[in-house]
Amino acid sequence: MRTSNRLFATMLAVLAAPLGTQSAAAQDKAPVVIGTAVGLSGANSVVAPSVVQATQLAIDEINAAGGILGRKVVLEVADDGSGAAGAQKAYDSLLFQKKVDAVISMETSAARNAALPIVTRARKPFIYTSFYEGRSCNRNMFINAWVPEQQVASVVDYFSSKLNTKSYFLVGSDYAFGRGMLEFTRKYILAKGQKVVGEEYLPMDGSDWTAIVSKLKASGADALISSTAGGAPNVTLTKQLRAAGVTVPFGNLAVDEGTAKSMGSDGKDVYTAGSYYTSIDTPRNKEFLAAMGKRFGAEMKTPNDLSVPQYEAVWAYKLAVDKAGSLDTDKVLKALGEVSFNGPRGAIKMDKQHHAALNMYLGQVQADGSVKILETFQGVDPGAQCPNLK
Amino acid sequence: MTLVLDMLTTAAILYGVAAGLLIVFGVMKIINFAHGAFLTVGGYAALLVTHLGWNPWWSLPVAFAVGGACGAIVERLVMKPLYKRPLDAILATWGLAIVIGQCITLVFDRGVQFVQSPLTGAIDFLGISYSSYRLFVIPLSLAVVGLLGWMMNGSRLGLVTRAVIMNEDLARALGINTGMVRLATFSLGAGLAGLAGALITPLSSVDPNMGVPWLVNAFMIVMVSGVSLVSLGVACLVLGSAQVLVSTWANPILGGLTIVVLAAVILRVRPEGFARA
Repeated sequence: MRTSNRLFATMLAVLAAPLGTQSAAAQDKAPVVIGTAVGLSGANSVVAPSVVQATQLAIDEINAAGGILGRKVVLEVADDGSGAAGAQKAYDSLLFQKKVDAVISMETSAARNAALPIVTRARKPFIYTSFYEGRSCNRNMFINAWVPEQQVASVVDYFSSKLNTKSYFLVGSDYAFGRGMLEFTRKYILAKGQKVVGEEYLPMDGSDWTAIVSKLKASGADALISSTAGGAPNVTLTKQLRAAGVTVPFGNLAVDEGTAKSMGSDGKDVYTAGSYYTSIDTPRNKEFLAAMGKRFGAEMKTPNDLSVPQYEAVWAYKLAVDKAGSLDTDKVLKALGEVSFNGPRGAIKMDKQHHAALNMYLGQVQADGSVKILETFQGVDPGAQCPNLK
Repeated sequence: MTLVLDMLTTAAILYGVAAGLLIVFGVMKIINFAHGAFLTVGGYAALLVTHLGWNPWWSLPVAFAVGGACGAIVERLVMKPLYKRPLDAILATWGLAIVIGQCITLVFDRGVQFVQSPLTGAIDFLGISYSSYRLFVIPLSLAVVGLLGWMMNGSRLGLVTRAVIMNEDLARALGINTGMVRLATFSLGAGLAGLAGALITPLSSVDPNMGVPWLVNAFMIVMVSGVSLVSLGVACLVLGSAQVLVSTWANPILGGLTIVVLAAVILRVRPEGFARA
């Protein structure tokens, strides 16, 4: 009996061994899957197509150069509905059903905050590519986009010194980003000795700014600064402002070039600041724009400050995995803080407490939707975002 | 002054949205939960007009026609078999709303899109400047009221409709084709919803779910306003003004709740709402 049991076990082991080596061999050929959650519906849906395109271009370029660790890279896109509920579904699907190797996403802060616990549970690297209100910290997350410390100052300084504004009205979407940005902006304005005469919020998906526009006009403010969710709220606010005849200097902290184009003539003269505009005059940016044009042709959506960081993040992930030599999360996370990728926004390294120093630009939207750069700031530091993360 | 205009224009917009729902409720005694979906259809009709490059003013009649056509098809296919089962009919409209929303998503994609406004800029009068498009909504809503009122009181269809509202079985016994009346009413209600959708989109945006928040508010207003178009106007004025006042003096987030909460309170205090008892 015992002999036949041992014989049986040995036979099983002999039969199973080739299966083991076969799956190891299959591992080498299995693609590296990058998951991207983005707002295909909801507020961000205006910018989502450009984000997906930028991600796709990076993946195509990496595959043409041999992939990651010799393996093909594949993209899985999920719709996070631009909000927390959708993000939960999207991340569960990406991390636990599709079993992606990393998540690289441009999302609203509401979606990001809902996603972080899931990312922590799944223990995969997560690169967040959207500008946001700062101070979001998680050992699995790296951010290559700007935070208020890098952006707000340029707008407020320009308004007060070049346009002589003294009183400000603040308008935002009612969630982490809107409130966080405007809290920082208020402190900065007050520290400059100027006044904030109003601060109003609308829910993220809200599109009726009537009461807020009326309050703005009644307040007699010299200038308006807004920080709404990216995409639709920017357009509805601007349209309603212009329809009501509001002409005070308008600094929009959260508009990207793609959205500015959909505003049509209403977007003219809006001031904005960011880390990417298509008019950035460097050879690397021109090369990138040419590649986008070639890949997508007439379907190309304007690359913008929400889509270009996505392109750079995919490449940064590749460089990090190359440096780490494997897909092991801890090794990749260490490498992400060390690699530098030279992309359309210049050389970027996410080594400042998981954030990155960036070149920033202050611009003004023109009648055709493009952004004319008024001032440039090199290598702006993000400040102390996550002091507890090494 | 701006505040007063805000209240009037908000009431006018609410009236446009709720009128179609009220008519269907009055004649068919059911709440058409697909009203928000017809609103969305109207919004997308306006989008099509923008894409085709036509003059944006065309979006209003086109949206009305498209909404009305959808309503007619829906009435014959979905509502007619359910005449004897009003509760099931209400459920059917809810399902219809979901189906229409998904069909729109299939054709137009989930993203938020924008429509060109027929009237841009602000006009100065009485010491303030105000959005000319918003001001335009007031005469348009009044025109809709006027037309509906004339139709109800001055035309044969209106007479027949009022008979059906009062007592459908008796009307049928008198030889009135109640099926025709229901078809006409539902199509008109859907057409009005489409018109309202085209009316609101230049101020905001179009997306497959744009009708939902409007449906909730319209539903509460119709509940509070009884059956007459005049009491609907009063309800819109009161609730719309309350929303603007709360949004202005407190904050817009509470403002969004006002109509629903106030309607519930009114019904508690006076169950017949604004209807003349």
